[in-house]
Amino acid sequence: MTEFSPSEIEYVRYGGEHHLPLIMGLVDRELSEPYSIFTYRYFVYLWPNLTFLAFHEEKCVGTVVCKMGHHRNISRGYIGMLVVIESYRGRGIATELVTRSIRVMMESGCQEVTLEAEVTNKGALALYGRLGFIRAKRLFRYYLNGVDAFRLKLLFPKCDPMLLTTSNKNGGDDQPVNCL
Amino acid sequence: MANHQGGGGAGGLIGHASLPPPIPAGDQTVWADAGPLIVAACSELQDGELIHAENFSLFAAMSALEIMDPKMDSGIENSGYHSIEEAIENNIAPVPLSLDSTIDVQCILDATWHKGHSLAQTVFSCIYLLRIERTSPHALLHSYCRIMRAICNALVSVVSDARTNEEEDLFAMAYALPLKGEGDEKCLSILNSVEETISRQLRACKAQSSRKKSLEDIEPLQRNPDLEEGYCRALLCRLRFRKHYFHVFMCMRKPHGKGLELARKHVALCLSELSYMSKSLEFLRSLPYGSGQDDIESSTTASGCKPIGFDASLNSTLSAPGPPRATHILSWKKAVGYFQKLLHDLDFVCSFNMEPVLEDVLHYVVQFQKLQPDLVARTHLQILLVQDGKLCGKDSFHDVISRALALPELTADKEFQKNEFIVQLGQLIVSLLKILCTNIAWQRRKLGKILQDWGVLSLQLEMAFKREFGDRLNVMVDENMCMKVSRRLLIWTDEHTYWIASRFLTLGFELELYSPNEYCMVYWYMYVVLMRLMEKMQMRIAINSETSQRRGKKKKDHAKDPARDGSLSSSSLLIHCYICLCEGLAMMLAALHNESKAFQMRSPFNGEEERFVQHFDLLQKAHVPDHVSYYLFKESTVHARISGVVKHNYFREAQRITSSLKGSFAGDPNRMLELQQLEQVAEHNRIALNVINQVGADDPSLRVSFEFTHHPHFAIAVVKRS
Repeated sequence: MTEFSPSEIEYVRYGGEHHLPLIMGLVDRELSEPYSIFTYRYFVYLWPNLTFLAFHEEKCVGTVVCKMGHHRNISRGYIGMLVVIESYRGRGIATELVTRSIRVMMESGCQEVTLEAEVTNKGALALYGRLGFIRAKRLFRYYLNGVDAFRLKLLFPKCDPMLLTTSNKNGGDDQPVNCL
Repeated sequence: MANHQGGGGAGGLIGHASLPPPIPAGDQTVWADAGPLIVAACSELQDGELIHAENFSLFAAMSALEIMDPKMDSGIENSGYHSIEEAIENNIAPVPLSLDSTIDVQCILDATWHKGHSLAQTVFSCIYLLRIERTSPHALLHSYCRIMRAICNALVSVVSDARTNEEEDLFAMAYALPLKGEGDEKCLSILNSVEETISRQLRACKAQSSRKKSLEDIEPLQRNPDLEEGYCRALLCRLRFRKHYFHVFMCMRKPHGKGLELARKHVALCLSELSYMSKSLEFLRSLPYGSGQDDIESSTTASGCKPIGFDASLNSTLSAPGPPRATHILSWKKAVGYFQKLLHDLDFVCSFNMEPVLEDVLHYVVQFQKLQPDLVARTHLQILLVQDGKLCGKDSFHDVISRALALPELTADKEFQKNEFIVQLGQLIVSLLKILCTNIAWQRRKLGKILQDWGVLSLQLEMAFKREFGDRLNVMVDENMCMKVSRRLLIWTDEHTYWIASRFLTLGFELELYSPNEYCMVYWYMYVVLMRLMEKMQMRIAINSETSQRRGKKKKDHAKDPARDGSLSSSSLLIHCYICLCEGLAMMLAALHNESKAFQMRSPFNGEEERFVQHFDLLQKAHVPDHVSYYLFKESTVHARISGVVKHNYFREAQRITSSLKGSFAGDPNRMLELQQLEQVAEHNRIALNVINQVGADDPSLRVSFEFTHHPHFAIAVVKRS
């Protein structure tokens, strides 16, 4: 486990091609589902404002990759990939990355946010549960390894989202996550 | 283009296969270096573009490539053989030294297929099956392959026809696989002939061992005469298992359930042969070629011999598009365990009463789903229930409805049969029965969706009733037949709409869709739905009771009515028990929330209301029930206090009901088991509530959690002090 204080983590929005190898490297190492470079480009080129990276002393230690669009007349955000390297987990980095991305979605007019997570991924389920996601559906044998998935959904209130409180500072009790 | 690296195509450049020779230039062709042209084209592509074209977007680029798809991804590893013939030429599938091992591997691949993998990666990874004609000289292997193929074909057909397999769609995928062959209809007679030969061999072995005579005219199955008897037994039980297994499915397919009794006999014989197969484990592991796989628990054959003649990658170009699912091949022991469970589930299906009342059918299917049956068993229940658009292939659904309404005199009534509401209701019932046979994840989604249809029909029936008869739903005097039918139809449809809603909600627990801080709202909603369900059931009881009184002793089925009415009353009481538990749990959770701030939801992005809206969205859209909102939930729970919950005695009431129901359910072990579970839930929660009340809900040392240790839907409170 790497020692650091939360203030040493720098959160940066996706800034260009120079960030792509960092994101791909992290996701390829940590996540089980395979993606081509075209998948990454699809996300970061169309929605650069929804991808964030976390750096510690110039080393990329985490990333979140998202998109948004319309689904049945509802504007919906989608969290595609979320990863934090192992030695940095459990300290709130994943929560902060996801929170930043969701905030942008909210400000962009999304009505809800969704993602899939393995039913066995307790860390991811706890993290998203704290952020207000519910388990909307269970998808039988969704992943290539035959594991079921939950479709998680966060519904924004219909009132002015800017009146909501700012991010929940729970301390670093979120767990390492893979969410795709 | 000069192809310096030799042939291309899927799998052409990898593994240990030798590279094919380069394609020579022809009379009209020359090779030219296209490198500069490609570089120039690439320089015009923007970052992220795969093809520079007007309509070829980034999304198209992403979707155009599928990593690990054998057709697209030539880098994916395979065995190195380009075809089955090449594998055969390299002696991958010789005459098997150990027929028992080949049979065992086919058996585990069969089970693995059932557990969610494609035929191409499992059963048809067997080269003997892919080229079955090669096995003709070897009677035993040939007969076994034939019957395996026939069974696979039969199961793929039945599942495809029934369409029970949404989400399990890999099961029925059989792209270009040789599932059928000439002469397959004779597979059973071929197998019987082989069985007879081996049985004679076994008798001869026994005779030889007692009289010391040598086996002269029968070719041994393996080399050591001393092991021949044991080997014959090992092979016989495997053949017989497969034979009886085939018979099970053939019998179950007979129309109107005519083959169910015989199917049960074959199920029993299958289980018996599986038991012999398990007993053969020790003998087979002692064989000279055995024990190649040392770990018995993970071994893929009983003997431990490593399987030969199987290669899953040979079918890769035939498989469905998309990355192959990681195949977790079951061990031999787990495969045997799978078949034992499947056979027990099929036996449950075969025990179905073919003269059913619709309520009993619904109850039966719910009980069946508690066994967590896999696709094959569920499919066979579905095809039993709905055949040719009729219940069990015998009763048209308008007849089923007329009996459900306790109006059997309408059975031959053409007007009734053609009534648009009856037709629509019949279709909804068929759809409901099929949905109830699917896997519970998909089932819950579909139940949520059909609530709209049932809700709309209920509304239409209500409007039609009011238009015709005014507000006389609860007035049963002076009603003519038309009014009687309309009233009963409305009540019955309402009741089953709430039944679907309650199943939708309870499945959420089985699927782990609710987090602890949502239990309060879920139990509250269940309480509301169950109250309406019980209300409708009691209306139906009242109608039936009034009908029985009017009929007096004239009707020959008078004796049946009290039994049926009794069953309905017991079911209604059981619902009342559920209501008490739901109310108790909802109030206990609400009180804990109010007094100790436990189970609160603090999110930066939304609150409890958004979670409520999302969980019950489908119910709200269907108005099931009407006038239920988050605000009603809050009003009902905001003043809950532990002391008040204790005074209401919800759990004591639940216990009283479970005690009173023991007599009614005495002959039904499943119901008795559930009563026991409900009793334990009520007892645990009653005690927990008292402890919390004594200590004080706001005591900071108190920790309360909820677990489903006794009943899948009703949690018990676990109280600890830190």
